[in-house]
Amino acid sequence: MSLATGCQAPPITVIGIGNPYRHDDAAGLVVLASLSQRFAAEQRIRLVELDGEPVRLIQSWEGSDTVLIIDAVRSLHPPGTIHHFRADGISGAAADGIALGGGHLLGLGEAIDLARALCLLPRDLDVVGIEGADFELGQGLSAPVASACDLATAQLVDQLEQLLLSLVSRSGAAARPAARR
Amino acid sequence: MSHDHRTRSFQVEALTRVEGEGGLIVEIHDGAVRDVRLRIFEPPRFFEAFLRGRAYTEPPDITARICGICPVAYQMSACQAIEQACGVTLDAPLRDLRHLLYCGEWIESHVLHIHLLHAPDFLGYPSGIAMAADHRAELERGLRLKKIGNEIVEVIGGRAVHPVNVKLGGFYKAPDASRMRALAAELVWATDAAEEVARWVATFPIPDHELPDGTDLVALRHPTEYPMLGERLVSTSGLDIAADEYLAHFTEEHVQHSTALHGRKLAGGDYLVGPLARFVLNADHLSPRAAALAAELGLTAAERNPFRSIVVRAIETLHACEVALAIADAYAVPPRPAVDVPPRAGAGCGWSEAPRGLLWHRYELSADGTITDAHIVPPTSQNQPVIEHDLIHLIEHSLHLDDSALEALCEQAVRNYDPCISCATHFLDMRVVRT
Repeated sequence: MSLATGCQAPPITVIGIGNPYRHDDAAGLVVLASLSQRFAAEQRIRLVELDGEPVRLIQSWEGSDTVLIIDAVRSLHPPGTIHHFRADGISGAAADGIALGGGHLLGLGEAIDLARALCLLPRDLDVVGIEGADFELGQGLSAPVASACDLATAQLVDQLEQLLLSLVSRSGAAARPAARR
Repeated sequence: MSHDHRTRSFQVEALTRVEGEGGLIVEIHDGAVRDVRLRIFEPPRFFEAFLRGRAYTEPPDITARICGICPVAYQMSACQAIEQACGVTLDAPLRDLRHLLYCGEWIESHVLHIHLLHAPDFLGYPSGIAMAADHRAELERGLRLKKIGNEIVEVIGGRAVHPVNVKLGGFYKAPDASRMRALAAELVWATDAAEEVARWVATFPIPDHELPDGTDLVALRHPTEYPMLGERLVSTSGLDIAADEYLAHFTEEHVQHSTALHGRKLAGGDYLVGPLARFVLNADHLSPRAAALAAELGLTAAERNPFRSIVVRAIETLHACEVALAIADAYAVPPRPAVDVPPRAGAGCGWSEAPRGLLWHRYELSADGTITDAHIVPPTSQNQPVIEHDLIHLIEHSLHLDDSALEALCEQAVRNYDPCISCATHFLDMRVVRT
């Protein structure tokens, strides 16, 4: 999220949110780290680790059309449940009745509301929520959350590869009329 | 909410727009304030225990995780304490880089608090999101200003969240001159914008109120600078001490309603840390435009109204922009990115002014650099007693208000202190009860 380099933003931003010292709250960071192993050299994807502070969150996706956010959630579902939300289904502090809270300041849902109010939402914004069990102070994921992180990573790798392919086909489609001229 | 002929009560289950989650209970009985308790539930001091047995090089990275809003403050206080223990002094250009990094954090933190947390109170909105419809230009200006704070932290610290480039003795890598020039160009705009923000908040309706009599204002002091990286601690009661004398004058005690410790002066009485205290004790060291604007807006060393803290924060934001611009403009890549900090057995104390106030660290090291003891006193735990007593004082003079107005005033007053409950422990949820 450079202000000054003048570089074009990558079309896709992937954001992992969490606190590595609050056990399952680190789920978003663990998934992001796994995705980094696969996509670190991919120029079309920006990988961002955040703690959920809303303004940094909004500014971290600046310039990208597609944003994927991975965060831990806490609801009445079994630990390790993977939830999927789209921005248009998220408002205030809840998405489909599930709290997208934050220990700091505003929750993810409110950050999305703020972005909506300031017309700063990307074209597509998806949230992957991983149901946590243990948010106490300490390191390490609980077993069901660790398994869910592996599954979510695999799903996101597939999703990102599809998105990259669609970018190629879109740029190809854009290039063809120009070539005919 | 309930009423009878003797008592009234209300509850606010969650205190919003503070950084963290916690609780506040206010009890009013027979028209008199019986008690105010700021409750914090989470187990404190996790990080102090976590640091014991770790290498002396680790606290800058580990303590940065205590707070997402002020990680630089934790890094700066930790570095200074351990460098003191090891008998190391920084090169001047490296200290300038630390000062610049700290300016970035002050800009980020103050701008966030002013625009999204506190301004809605003064302007009558339930949240910053609700305020956006009517004050979009001001919020957009604030977001751009905050982004420049982020950018400073990213350029110097390696990334905007929990900086990774800070190490004992300086930095892993010195910033590129080209990035610093780009930063300076942005800071020209930021300085003007910060002045506009200060003029904007100065128009807000400010409740007429003063801190309780006898509150001691406490802040760091530097011979020539506004004290982000101050050297001595001073107070309006005449205290003037070094970092290793802190525990001879201040202590922390456990109270039943909170798992965070409360800061106390050993001599007795409340004390206040944070922007208002810093300004009162250091106004003579503000940058030129910040000093001139403070005077124009009527801020003086006699200021004791905590509701005017929002104006002080804006003045400090302008100061941070001016200082950051001066350092960025004069930047040349330093001869070395860090000085060597070899371990030695001993103890060291360090402190700095986090956006919310004084942050004191102390470490004991063994000869190989293993940490044998760590002690961290964050600003919010120091301010907890004065927050409680200030609320009692405020409510006593506001009993004519109906319950919802009094609740709103209490929440606004708590936010005067910009409490970072995540630093004091982690998580706070606020409940106000009037009985």
